[in-house]
Amino acid sequence: MVWAWLIPVLSFAAVPLIILFGKRLPGKGSPLAILAILAGFAIFWVVFAGFLSASPDTDGCEIGVGTEALTCNFQITWFEAGIPGADTKNHDRIEVAWGMTVDPLTVAMLGLATFVALMVQIYSLGYMHGDPRIDWYYAFHALFIASMLTLVLADNFLLLYVAWELVGLCSYLLIGFWHERPEPREAAKKAFIVTRIGDVGLLVGILLLWSQVGSFSMSETFAAVESGVLSDGVITVSALLLFLGAMGKSAQFPFHVWLPDAMEGPTPVSALIHAATMVAAGVYLVARAFPLFSASDTAMLVVATIGLITALGAATIALVATDLKRILAYSTISHLGLMMLSLGAFGYTAAIFHLLAHGFAKALLFLGAGSVMHSTDELDVREMGGLRKVMPVTAILFSIGALSLGGIPILAGFWSKDEILVAVNKELPVIFIVLTLLTALLSALYMARAMFVVFYGRFAEHFEHVHDAPKTMSITMGLLAVFAIVFGLVALDLPGPFKGIGYFIFYHEGHGLELVAWLAGLSTVLAIVAFVYAYLAYARKSINLEGTRGTFGWALKVAENKYYLDEVYQWTVDRVVLSFSRFIAWVDRALVNDVGINGPGDVTRVLGDRLKYHVTGYVYTYALAMALGLVGLAIFWWLVSR
Amino acid sequence: MVPLVAFQVLSAALFAIGLYGVMARRSAVLIVMSIELMLNAVNINLIAAASHLDGMGKWANFDGQIIAIFIITVAAAEVGLGMAIILRMYRNRSTVNVDEINLMKW
Amino acid sequence: MSWFLFIILAFFTLAGGLGVVVTRNVVHAALFLLVSLVAVAGLYLILFAEFLALVQVLIYGGAIIIVLLFAIMLTRTAEYPYISDNKQWPLAAVAAAAVGVVLGAAFLDSNIPETSPNSPAFADLANSLFTTWAIPFEVASLVLLVALIGAIIIARTGEDNR
Repeated sequence: MVWAWLIPVLSFAAVPLIILFGKRLPGKGSPLAILAILAGFAIFWVVFAGFLSASPDTDGCEIGVGTEALTCNFQITWFEAGIPGADTKNHDRIEVAWGMTVDPLTVAMLGLATFVALMVQIYSLGYMHGDPRIDWYYAFHALFIASMLTLVLADNFLLLYVAWELVGLCSYLLIGFWHERPEPREAAKKAFIVTRIGDVGLLVGILLLWSQVGSFSMSETFAAVESGVLSDGVITVSALLLFLGAMGKSAQFPFHVWLPDAMEGPTPVSALIHAATMVAAGVYLVARAFPLFSASDTAMLVVATIGLITALGAATIALVATDLKRILAYSTISHLGLMMLSLGAFGYTAAIFHLLAHGFAKALLFLGAGSVMHSTDELDVREMGGLRKVMPVTAILFSIGALSLGGIPILAGFWSKDEILVAVNKELPVIFIVLTLLTALLSALYMARAMFVVFYGRFAEHFEHVHDAPKTMSITMGLLAVFAIVFGLVALDLPGPFKGIGYFIFYHEGHGLELVAWLAGLSTVLAIVAFVYAYLAYARKSINLEGTRGTFGWALKVAENKYYLDEVYQWTVDRVVLSFSRFIAWVDRALVNDVGINGPGDVTRVLGDRLKYHVTGYVYTYALAMALGLVGLAIFWWLVSR
Repeated sequence: MVPLVAFQVLSAALFAIGLYGVMARRSAVLIVMSIELMLNAVNINLIAAASHLDGMGKWANFDGQIIAIFIITVAAAEVGLGMAIILRMYRNRSTVNVDEINLMKW
Repeated sequence: MSWFLFIILAFFTLAGGLGVVVTRNVVHAALFLLVSLVAVAGLYLILFAEFLALVQVLIYGGAIIIVLLFAIMLTRTAEYPYISDNKQWPLAAVAAAAVGVVLGAAFLDSNIPETSPNSPAFADLANSLFTTWAIPFEVASLVLLVALIGAIIIARTGEDNR
């Protein structure tokens, strides 16, 4: 278990090697990145096994503050500053550790991240085949996964923040990977800037906590929350500031606008970063800081509300989007919203469970979309149809992902979504559960739409010569599909020592699978109805949608335009930010530059221009000056001595 | 008897005349001549003081005369060097007019 | 009697000096300078400084005027007869007058007790020069030597030492 630090470090080590020697290595260094993450995946199992066999007596382990789950910490001092030997509480000294926390949450995230990263990197061998900059691609990938793993392992907020920004950087680099085209460039900038707004909140929140607690350490912070050292106001404000960071990273309303545009990056990147791992970092952060969040009812309500708005809004947009990857992107936003909602409803287990289940399924869906795109060079679903005829493997695997995410029973998505429904039903007002069920219906509907429109129905003849995905791509998708099918079963009390995920990842106390019969039944019925309806509407075309289109034309228009949020932002930037910037620029140019900087320079130059004429070069001028000086001195001396 | 002040005022007048010559003349040769006038003004002053103030303070009456001798010596050296410089100047620039020589300009 | 001599000599001194600074002809200027210098030698005689008067006539009237005349001859150009003052001469006149006034005022204001000039013995002067003032005397001879060498080096045509 103490070897957990090795997982990110291996990938970190791969980065410079690939950059420096990638051109000369076989496969341009891609095997190096894959080996690093493969080793990381292997070590994950060692860590997992070590954690399962650990007890509070094990070295470095204890019952975690707040979560009451087993937590193991391993750390070395990173740096110290301030007065030696002083008390950290008074801010006379700070002490920051390179610390690793291994607890159930970390283990779960490690498993998801290493596994999906491994799959995606192998998949990329096929997808990125022949790209001239494949060495950079893999270097960025390795850097990303190393940062992501550092993020989930970090035991203090400062290290977490460093990793947080690093994954943001990698996201920027990979979205803009094909920077020859303008759209990826713009998308990369948009993603970077929008997430940065949230990151400022995160940083301020971390510093606020530090100023109150005197330590960046999470366990000390949570202990301070538990013991009531922090006032309610500080807890609420810092929780909301942390949530601001989480909103940016997890693309929550109103910061979700960057994620659909991020689909301009290579599809495997979308699968790894913008579906399974990095965007889940916000959810992870809220879960990690759950002792802080759960101490403030306001913060919890804000989290739940934002989550619900995001989930519902994104689902409606996903329903009308025409770009396959954007459908998946909005679906991702919607599901991230569901996770936030679940956290806000104290559904800690449900949120992480859904994070994992969604991670596998959505990675699978993205890889499937990538496979389609790789073969057809087409992303507009209106141009597609019946693709299962030419790419059957992709069709089957994509369908598994869609069904899983749509919430069809026994598949992974069903279980996790149901847990969320239970939590929302238990903790929040009735309006929340109604809207959550609506979201679940919409979620099934848009997944079904994507699946049926693309792979079923009338075959689009111009894709006659399209071939299926190569082996590296289909095998990885297959492995992910297995998880998308069976992962839900971890919720059950299986034979053996494992009593279900509720006893592994929990907050305060373990609990078994909670199934509320009417909720489970209702959500199942909704999902099946949605799939059947979509089959009839999109595959068989036996339901004519034109009538609906006419009735709800205005609503469709609003949804198709993504609620005009991009336009609002554009207006804000143009009218408010740029006007203010112009004013600042004017101040800088006119006051600072012209007056403050050029002013003294001009005065000196003009003065020099005028005064230089006293240097005539004629000897007699100087003699005259001497004589006048003599007279002046004499008069002066006479005046003084009088 | 002629009082000391008369000599001193005379020397001041001669000094002022020499100074005017230094500042106003164009030719370097004339400037050197004006400098000689100024040196003579100083010498008059020294010698008049030496004659009139014998035994006042620690100075003997010929100390002023001796300093005047040195001044005459230095004046001779100065004229010799000054003329050499003027000759060199004339050879290089074909003029001895100081208002045509302003290499020290800005 | 001495007043009479003083006024005449002072007149020649100042007139010669003014001649030096106002005449347009350089040769005339040199001759005016000679007049002034010889008048100054006369002033030395009133002050009982016979040795200085002798030196004045020999060195100034003899050597320096000759050197100046040589310089005038060697640097003579066609423009000499038209030589005149430079552009700042009015300002220079004001400044010079101011210096003269300042100096004169200082002398008139000095309150030096009235005494009559007396004459030192020739032998005492020589004694003092070669005992008390021996080192400055030697330095002065060194100055002359250096000036001599410097003048030669500066004034040489210079083609042979390149």
